[in-house]
Amino acid sequence: MATSARKRVVVSRAFLPPLASAVFLLLLVAIGSLLYGAGPVSPAEALAVLAGGGTDEARFVLMELRLPRTIIGMVTGLALGLAGALLQSMTRNPLAEPGLLGVSAGSGFAVALAILLGATTATLTTLVAQLGALAGCALVIAATRVQGLGNDPVRLVLAGATLSGLLMALTSMLMLVDQRAADEIRFWITGSIAGKPLDMLGATLPSIILALVMIVMVARPLAAMALGEKAAVGLGHHPGRIRLLITLSVALLVGSATALAGPLIFVGLVVPFIARALAGPDIRRTLWLCAPIGPIILLAADIVSRLIAAPAEMPLGVVTALVGAPILLAIVRAGRMPSL
Amino acid sequence: MTLPDKRTTITNIALFVVMLAAITASLAIGTLQLTPTEVALALAGQADPMTDLVVNQLRLDRTLAGLLTGAALAMAGCLMQTLARNRLATPGIIGIDNAATAFAVASVVGIGVSLAPSTMALTGAAVATALAFGLAGAKGTRGYRFIVAGIGIGAIAGSATQVLLSRVAIDTANAAYPWTVGSLNARSDQSVLVLAVGLGIGYLALMGISRALNTLQFSDPVAIALGTRLRSTRVLGLGLSVLLTGLAVSVCGPVGLIALLAPELARTLCRPGKVPLTASALAGATFMVTADLLGRTLFSPLEVPVGIITAIIGSPYLLWILLRPSQRSPT
Repeated sequence: MATSARKRVVVSRAFLPPLASAVFLLLLVAIGSLLYGAGPVSPAEALAVLAGGGTDEARFVLMELRLPRTIIGMVTGLALGLAGALLQSMTRNPLAEPGLLGVSAGSGFAVALAILLGATTATLTTLVAQLGALAGCALVIAATRVQGLGNDPVRLVLAGATLSGLLMALTSMLMLVDQRAADEIRFWITGSIAGKPLDMLGATLPSIILALVMIVMVARPLAAMALGEKAAVGLGHHPGRIRLLITLSVALLVGSATALAGPLIFVGLVVPFIARALAGPDIRRTLWLCAPIGPIILLAADIVSRLIAAPAEMPLGVVTALVGAPILLAIVRAGRMPSL
Repeated sequence: MTLPDKRTTITNIALFVVMLAAITASLAIGTLQLTPTEVALALAGQADPMTDLVVNQLRLDRTLAGLLTGAALAMAGCLMQTLARNRLATPGIIGIDNAATAFAVASVVGIGVSLAPSTMALTGAAVATALAFGLAGAKGTRGYRFIVAGIGIGAIAGSATQVLLSRVAIDTANAAYPWTVGSLNARSDQSVLVLAVGLGIGYLALMGISRALNTLQFSDPVAIALGTRLRSTRVLGLGLSVLLTGLAVSVCGPVGLIALLAPELARTLCRPGKVPLTASALAGATFMVTADLLGRTLFSPLEVPVGIITAIIGSPYLLWILLRPSQRSPT
């Protein structure tokens, strides 16, 4: 008993440095996200506001524009990073990313449909986005159940890319039908956290908290599932129940992220990829590390999107794709997929 | 050069007839409905000025562009599938379409030279092909790895297009939008002409190496024993598929899945063991003209870009290929 307790302490100590440095880095990136922007407020002025002074204009830009944007970015990054890690762990496929597999596209299509039919409130949009993500998740799981496909990561990704293409074509159709809706849909579909209303955050927060609770419940059984389904059953877990909980939390997380920022591809691939490299094979540690790394990646990408084309802004989805696609290529090029 | 067998000849004639029907429909149907007789009269130059304008000025150009792009995309697809020995390895799936589009958009929003879109699209197609084959390993035929490399390249190129469009005036970006999803609306006469010349040269060259291509369905040693110069066949074949894809994209943008569907149909109809280039071209031209016709008329007066139509029709089929539980691998 005593040995096992001591062992646990030793393990968490070894794990502490990466987690602590990730949290520290997150703080830096968050401050950077407040200081730098495409607008006329310079970092020095922003610093003055943070110190309690500053002009009214700088104060407005910082508090009304950059602060909400930073918070939304952090929540989106958290949701996408965790969703990617969960989906990859459950499908045992290092390429299973919500954006690549069509879960985000399903969510985006649902939002587009809702906007076309006249949905305006934040709560309704969030709910619709989550339902779309749930449908996407169900399709992915059905696809992994097809014989031979579950063991073939790359084929699953191709199927996902096809599904995304189909849903995007259908979304484009919707945009052609109604010009007013098209403008609003384009606002969602490009993938950006700029100028998104804060009440959307309020609408998504309950479901993100619910998803986090479910993740805490499911983390231990999920680690047991990594040993194989039979081993998990032997250890007293219920694979079916675990899968259901994970599917629900992935749908809640991806749906919330899409409602906040539009469909963002590759974030759910990059974040768990880095977290796994730092944390090793244990899914619980990976999840812990994903929590700070997701916001770091998203905020960093957002800062780049503001500065690279200043005074204009580039869509955030473009930056994440430019960062994520080379990592996808690197994983595939390595040939030996990290086994999950 | 191999002489076509009986089954292939019959298939080609049948596909040609279907293509003629599609052309007639494309010329006849629209806001102004015409009968086939009226279309024939207009083509012969004996119709009233109004009909003459609609058929010979508006619809004929568009239909010709559709025929040429469809045939070029389908032949490029058939060729690349044969070279990679993988029926999923079509230019659209491995990102060549997107890269060609990104380069062509760069020329449209950046340089105002009239020939630029064609040459830039060609450059983009060549770069993407080199990347896809380079990244997936020396042989370039390692099944799905090759394709995921292509998905990554396609994503990067798609983002690059977005970056370019986000940096220009909103009007230019809006005008370019239908073209980035694949449409016959934004074509320039010059690119169509370049495509016609390229397609002619490409078709003749392909007929020249058709025997060598037929032997590629066997393993490398067998193909060599049959007298095929593998290296030069591969290089020439890849070069031709880059040429055809790049020129087609410079006219119509990335119209997906024609390069997958048309060779698929042609292979089902023709005699097994031959690479059905002519049949693919005919089927591709028919698909393109029909899809464009659907896009023009389904939600008239609204025009749905042809790329959206092919995506909606083709994607479920591709998903079926990928997801059906099969004994043999679909590669």
